[in-house]
Amino acid sequence: MSQSPTPTMPSLATQSLGMSYGSRQVIDSLDITLPSGQVTAIVGPNGCGKSTLLAGLARLHKPDSGAVLLDGADIQRLPTRQLATQLALLPQEAVAPEGLTVTELIRFGRQPHQGWLRQWSAEDQRVVQHALAAAGLEQLADRPIDALSGGQRQRAWIAMTIAQQTPLLLLDEPTSALDLGHQIEVFELVKHLAHHGRTVVMVLHDLASACRYADHLIAMREGQIIAEGQPAKVVTPDLVRMLYQVECSLLTDPATGCPLLTNVRRIQASN
Amino acid sequence: MPAFYGILSGGGENDSVPPLQGYWRFAWQGRHGANSLMFEQRAVVVNLGLFGALLLASVIYLSLGSVKVAPMAVLQALFGNADMMASFVVQELRLPRLAAAVSTGAAFALAGILMQTLARNRLATPGIIGIDNGATAFAVASIVGVGFSIAPPAMALAGATTAAVLTFGLAAGSGTQGYRFIVAGIGVGAVFGAVTQLMLARVAIDTANAAYPWTVGSLNARPSGALQLLMFGLALGLATAMALARSLTLLRFKDATASGLGVNVRRRRLEVLLLSVALTGLAVAVAGPVGMVGLIGPEIARSLSSSRSVPVLAATLAGALVMVLADLAGRTLLAPIEIPVGIVTAVVGGPWLLWILMRPQRSFT
Repeated sequence: MSQSPTPTMPSLATQSLGMSYGSRQVIDSLDITLPSGQVTAIVGPNGCGKSTLLAGLARLHKPDSGAVLLDGADIQRLPTRQLATQLALLPQEAVAPEGLTVTELIRFGRQPHQGWLRQWSAEDQRVVQHALAAAGLEQLADRPIDALSGGQRQRAWIAMTIAQQTPLLLLDEPTSALDLGHQIEVFELVKHLAHHGRTVVMVLHDLASACRYADHLIAMREGQIIAEGQPAKVVTPDLVRMLYQVECSLLTDPATGCPLLTNVRRIQASN
Repeated sequence: MPAFYGILSGGGENDSVPPLQGYWRFAWQGRHGANSLMFEQRAVVVNLGLFGALLLASVIYLSLGSVKVAPMAVLQALFGNADMMASFVVQELRLPRLAAAVSTGAAFALAGILMQTLARNRLATPGIIGIDNGATAFAVASIVGVGFSIAPPAMALAGATTAAVLTFGLAAGSGTQGYRFIVAGIGVGAVFGAVTQLMLARVAIDTANAAYPWTVGSLNARPSGALQLLMFGLALGLATAMALARSLTLLRFKDATASGLGVNVRRRRLEVLLLSVALTGLAVAVAGPVGMVGLIGPEIARSLSSSRSVPVLAATLAGALVMVLADLAGRTLLAPIEIPVGIVTAVVGGPWLLWILMRPQRSFT
């Protein structure tokens, strides 16, 4: 079974990207390159522009200036369907039509690969089975989405993007509504996908999860990147203060080697 | 449902596809690789069932009335070897009206399910968001001769478009989703309804009488040419809607999801909206505002269908069926008095709407 989506891994980057949300300029001339085959987490305080950036990367919003480049080509110029074979997106709080089962949802992931006279192929069938297995949903294949737990539901959505077989996967706060156990389910799945050759970019509001599960961290504030790199190298008490206006101490997690935030507290007014 | 795995032809590795439960798959080797078509079994059964019911209702429609024609005689009259009387009643009197009932019901219901899908809201039918009323106001204006008189279909189309544009303008950029759009539409509809009444109040009573069918919805006063135009538009609209079926299925998801799966959301939206508005305008030009069908038809179709796709064809057939039955009831129940079809659908549709609102919430998206 072909596991990796494509032999050559496309690269996603922005070139002096500027974006607005409504009339407010949120991002101004941003240059980033997303490392291929790794999990990148975009973190930052509310309103820092991280979700707008993701919307730009996924071509949901048009940039005011600059461009998002997929293999050097402006994604605004790509046909929607072609982009959908390169880049999959899981928006925040995705909702499925009522009554749809897990397999039916995952089958929608094949949409960009299908056409009027190519409605269902052996390849489609294989890929959907593979996606079910990868997300650990075989037992739940015929369950309606509404009847799943939060973590299972999110895994079903990720399975849909797996079935899309895109080398790039963008996730907008994939764990925001989940309890700890369900968060781990989702993160481990994401990690697994990156190990099998996918480039994953996710917006997270939880710095601790970003430290634990991201290979590459992009920290944003007021539309600017203030730090970028491996979490163990870039996360410092200074960075945390700049991002969230809190003091903290930093340890190294003895089990994983990841940075661990402790003693988080508000900055004292007297300083 | 019996398992039936479709025709596998041509052989080869590509065709050995495990059956997908609930679908019939037809595969063949085409010039550009393996081709396949999928038909959802339930949808096929539902569509055939609705079509059969429509045929049956049509025969009954042609047979009942002030002059009763036996069903066998109806069939003979249709195929041209019946007595003069039966032929005249069936072919000259009832068949054109049946055609009007079928096409308007189909057009209203198709417009309804398109708009509902677009707005991701089961209440967002053209009748409820004021498009019917806009079309009616313009058509009545042309009949009572307020300054200009273009043919009613053109005026109804212009009215439908005006109402849609106003509704969008008043929804102020919040798009076709959410309650703002629906509330704006209800407001626009109310204004157009009042304008219609005002025009009727100001003209001579004879003229007002002539325009009366327009305000309640009736198949009695079909303007010449409007029906042909509607049938043409319906054929085109249904074909387009079927071609858009795959996109429609994905438009039920959030924009971001649909777009991520390769749907050009903005463009599809516009196409679906134009289609819905045009169908409404053309149908109003024939029957007046019978918008309730736009709510009932899709509702019947959805209750019969699975949630895998948007039941475009089933809604269209159900709308035609509802309209035929409603007009049949209107013609025969209180004969010789005829109840306008718009009143019959409102009497049935009103309680239906209340039931939709009051039964346990099932979100449409």
